[in-house]
Amino acid sequence: MSAIREIEIEASPQEVWEALIDEDRRAAWLDEPERVISVTEADAPRRIVWQWWDDDRRASTVEINVIGVAAGARVVVTETRPSFPLAQLASSFALVAA
Amino acid sequence: MSAGLPTDSGKADVGAVFAALADPTRRRMLAALLRDGETSVPSLSAALPISRQMVAKHLATLDSAGLLERGAGRGREVSYRLRDGALHDAARWIREAEMQWDERLGRLKQSVERGGVRRGT
Repeated sequence: MSAIREIEIEASPQEVWEALIDEDRRAAWLDEPERVISVTEADAPRRIVWQWWDDDRRASTVEINVIGVAAGARVVVTETRPSFPLAQLASSFALVAA
Repeated sequence: MSAGLPTDSGKADVGAVFAALADPTRRRMLAALLRDGETSVPSLSAALPISRQMVAKHLATLDSAGLLERGAGRGREVSYRLRDGALHDAARWIREAEMQWDERLGRLKQSVERGGVRRGT
């Protein structure tokens, strides 16, 4: 189980990619100056994967896929904590959290 | 809000919670806790095809992740129940991460669309 979010951008995948891979541009839209990023995969212009650490120094993995669509590009982000349980637990979480 | 006594481990650690939930036997034990409210080593070992020792070991893992509270039990038997809000911490992490990504992706979209050739109207 992970946090998953997506957005459509009216620009080509290549244009989106440049904002993902360029460190200064990425820092601007992430706006997380205190977090250290370690990029582990970069497959232009489709996919970037990094690890980063939160305030409690816990690691999570961020995977961003860029998909070409009619309107431009769809950007899909998946942020995962290590040792995540299987998706079937999502329903238990929802029950308990409700 | 919890009426029960906290365990030694206190607040749940999100990483430890996810690690604790990664095991199918422990998920079955949690399902039993969600269903029955309270359980014990004897009742879990009667319900699951594993030894008392393994039940106790898995309970210790759930406990150290901050998921359990000890109840009074009957006689010498120790009962366990889910700590109030234990899974909230994990669910909250996901909700917060998704909210943060909505904001970041909004900024990414603005940055890219502003920087490139405008399309449409």
